Order: sequence, then structure tokens, then C-alpha cells
Amino acid sequence: MTYIGEIFVMAMSAIFIQNFLLSRFLGLCPFLGVSTRIDSAFGMGMAVIFVMTLTSSITYLINVYLLAAYPYLQTIAFILTIAALVQFVEMVIQKNAPALYKSLGVYLPLITTNCAVLGVALLNTTAVRSDGVTPYNFLDSTLNGFFSGVGFTTVLLAMAGIRQRLGLVKLPKYMRGMPIALILAGTMALAFYGFMGFKL
Amino acid sequence: MRFFSEITKGLIKENPMFVLVLGTCPTLAVSTSVINALGMGAAVTFVLICSNIIISLIKNIVPSSIRIPIYIVVIAAFVSVVDMTMAAFLPDLHKALGIFIPLIVVNCIILGRAEAFASKNNVLYSLADGIGMGLGATLALTIVATIREILGSGTWLGIRVMPNSYEPMLVAILAPGAFFTLGFLMALMNRLKEKRA
Amino acid sequence: MKYYLQLGVILMVFCVIATGILAYVNSVTEPKIETLKAEEAVKSREELIPGCDFEEVKLRDDFSYFIATDRETKELKGYTFTSQKKGYGSTIKTMAGLDPEFRVIGIKIIDQSETPGLGANCTKESFTSQFAGKTPEQLVVDKDGGPIKSLSGATITSRAIASSLKEEIEAIKADLDKKQEQEVAE
Repeated sequence: MTYIGEIFVMAMSAIFIQNFLLSRFLGLCPFLGVSTRIDSAFGMGMAVIFVMTLTSSITYLINVYLLAAYPYLQTIAFILTIAALVQFVEMVIQKNAPALYKSLGVYLPLITTNCAVLGVALLNTTAVRSDGVTPYNFLDSTLNGFFSGVGFTTVLLAMAGIRQRLGLVKLPKYMRGMPIALILAGTMALAFYGFMGFKL
Repeated sequence: MRFFSEITKGLIKENPMFVLVLGTCPTLAVSTSVINALGMGAAVTFVLICSNIIISLIKNIVPSSIRIPIYIVVIAAFVSVVDMTMAAFLPDLHKALGIFIPLIVVNCIILGRAEAFASKNNVLYSLADGIGMGLGATLALTIVATIREILGSGTWLGIRVMPNSYEPMLVAILAPGAFFTLGFLMALMNRLKEKRA
Repeated sequence: MKYYLQLGVILMVFCVIATGILAYVNSVTEPKIETLKAEEAVKSREELIPGCDFEEVKLRDDFSYFIATDRETKELKGYTFTSQKKGYGSTIKTMAGLDPEFRVIGIKIIDQSETPGLGANCTKESFTSQFAGKTPEQLVVDKDGGPIKSLSGATITSRAIASSLKEEIEAIKADLDKKQEQEVAE
């Protein structure tokens, strides 16, 4: 029972309170790049959830069983894992699920350089449960990866929804594109600060 | 002569932050104070220069089908070196920059320059490009950090610049302030460009 | 097939070179980082309770406290310990010095990465100085009816610091009481 509570806390903080995009500033490049249309945002979001979950579980194993004595190899090992994983997932999907590949395929290569993915892998290594001392175990890390991906997708979709309607707004030329996207993101971050009061 | 123009182009004309919009994550995250911005800028510049040099040296022996993983290995190695050196000699700064040091690996500026410039040019120009882009990124970081630190804490590089009666505008150093600052700065850059055209 | 093998070997060579360089840099920087950490811990303890010898007592796997005795008179001067608890966005490590009656002499925030401008203000003197002289019962923030004034906009951070200190002081006290009882029984 307590573990369900723990999962709830983890989900709430990954999705709302410590959102990767709005409060940790991780994964902004794809956020600003593919948030112009809802359908592409959805594809990107799904691909990110998938890769983040897988990455979290695999890097957990690597970190605990292979890198325990060599913490300085963490960065290089994690990024290679992610690159290989993305490549592998791409091949598997292409072969076995062509329909899925058609919708996710273009986003997969972009994910290697999405810092949210490397970010979640690195954060998992030092993350602790809500009691402040117990380090994450395998399941915790995997779930955290999943929820962080969900948090990323939630904000990405909301942003895409807003930006799609921006076409109807008459903006001065110099505000169009990146500047207004950033200001929108700022407003959303401000709104997300409302979740900060949660005591979990 | 081209050596110098490769350096200066990174500062304004092709500023990695404002014009190419690469590497937004660290810019927003660590620009809460000028000292953090300078530290991050130095780390990025160092990695950029080293990786540009190495990549332009090895460009002919790397098969093109596995060039990206190899570039990533080179970059990750330099990033780890910076990470460890900073932890040993500048522990406070290392703590303040935290996870964003290892994340330099996925900073799009570095891989972007490796792919777009260093893999096509000789060592000397790649070095110049690395210096220019690194300084450009540092400049952008420092500008954003200056605005945020002055508004949000009333200080610059830790020295008080606003009158004591000034009540710091907290939102500037919180997450939303980062987005607003960068957004308005980019709008300003666009506006200036428009006027000149 | 041979082509792929060749690619694999090239990639491998790069990884091996990179690992070698990192191993070398690590061998240079690691001892430096270790001594830096150890020095800092000694310095912080010395600042909290000056002129003392410290004896470590391991209480749990992840927690130990130090008994401070005067270097010359060997008189009991107090205790120091480092508590840790999850604040808002990070785990906050606080070092504290206690006098023999378990009143707080002073505290020092050793490690935190709370929100800049809000929770991160916990390192400021204006916040930490108010802990001096407090008994464990008084380590409660104002939102919960205690005397510790919490940081504006960062109640969670303030509460985490106060309650982590309170919990550990009580644990140390219980440990010492138990030892005393054992001594009496013997």
C-alpha cells in the first residue's frame, strides 16, 4: 500500500511539480522544435516516453552492476547506451511494426540528443524516495523514466495546442516563431508554479 | 584572415544561442547568476574547442556511417574531463552547475558544430570556429544571466548594483523568468535586424 | 560482415582511448576531491564547536554523530552530526553542533540544490542563525506553530531542515540514554 503512495508521489512530481521542461529545463530543443503541430508533438511525445522508460531501466542496471567502481565513466556509458538503444528500437520497430515506424520513425534519431533522456538517466542515479534516504531501485527508476516522459508529453501537447491556434493571432513580425514560443513557455511555467504548494 | 572571421562570426552573425537557437536548455537553466553563466560558458567553450580540433583531425579516418557515435564518444570524454577537473578545483561552481555539466554532451551546439563545421574544415579553422562559437554562447549566457541576476537578486556578479530599497523581482530567477528573458531578447534581436534590413 | 566488424573495431578503439584518458584524469582528480571533502567536514565541525577532538559514533548505516571533547581538559563539549532530508527539489544536508544539553549551537547547510531565489536562501545567515540556542522541541517552523521563521515561499525547505535536525537529535539522545542505562546496569 505504501508503495502505491510512493508511485503517486513520483508521478505527481515528475509530471507537475518538477516537470522536465518547465522546471528542470531539460529537453527544450525538441520542445521548441516540434511543438508547432499537435500530431507531430504527439508522435514525438510517444517516442520520448518509450525511450525514456527503456533508458531508465537499462542505465539503472548498467550503473549498478557495471559502473559501481567506475563512476567517472557514467556520462560516456549512458550516452552510448542511449544512442545504441535508439538505433536498436528504430530497427526493431521498422521490421516488426511498420505502421508505428511510419508515425514515430522520424522522431527517433532526434531523441539521442534530447537532453531529457540523458537527464533522467543521470538524475535516477542520485534520486531518492520521498523519505530522503532510500535510493531508487530498478522499478522506481523505470517508473520515474515513464512518468518523466509523460510529463514531457503533457506539456509538449499543451504547447502544440496553443501554438496551432497562434496562427490566428496577429502578432508583430519580430515576435513570431521562437520569441512568442518562449514567452508562452514562460507563462506555462508560471502556471505550473501553482503546483508547487503541494506537500507530498 | 579567415581565421579571425571564423572567430567573430560566432559572436553575433551566427550566435549559437540567439540566431541558431542551439543549446537552449543549459542557457535557461544556469543563467540564474552571472558567475554560473561564466562557468558554464567556459566549460562549453573548452569542450567545443577540444572536440572541434579532435574531430577535424580524425575526420578522414572515421567511416561516415558511424561518425555520430564516434563524435559523441569524443565529446563525452572531454565533458567528463571537465566534470572531474571542476569537481576537484572549483567545487562550489561544480555544485551550482550540477547536472548541466554532464549534459553538455547533448548540448546541440557541440554536436552541431562537429557535424556542420569541424567534419568539413581543417584544424585551424575548426579551432577558430570552436573559439568563436564558445565565446558566442558565453556572451549569450552572460547577457541572459545579467538581466536575470539584476532583476531577480539586485546584484551583478554578486555585487549589489540596485539601490537597497529595490525589492528583487523573484520571478526573474525562477523558471518562468528564464523563458521570458530569452523570449524578449530574441524578439529584440529580430526587431533590430528588421530595422537594419 | 567484414565491413561491420571493421566499424565495430574502430568504434571500440575510440572507446578504449577515451576510457584510458578518463581513467588517467580520474586518478589525478579523485584523491583531490576526497581530501577536499574531508577537509571541508573537519573545517565545518571545527567552526561549530572549536578546539575539540571528535569521536565518531556510528548509529545507522547512513548516519553517524561525533562526540566533541575539549582538546585540553577532555571535558564534554557537545555533539555534531549531519542530517539529511528531502526538501523541495533536492536532498538537503545540514551539519549541526549541539551543546551537552542538546541545545543547538549552530547549523550549517552543507549541500542543497533547492530552487534559486526561494529554497536556496536556506544557506543564508539570516535563516541559519535563528537555530542557535533552540532545544529539539523548539525545532518547528512557524507554519506548524513553532519559533523557526520559515523562508518566504519555501516552507517545505524550511520544514525539512528543522524536522531533520529534530529527528536526529532525538535519535542521538535516545542512543546516549541507552548507553548510560547500560553503564548503570553494569
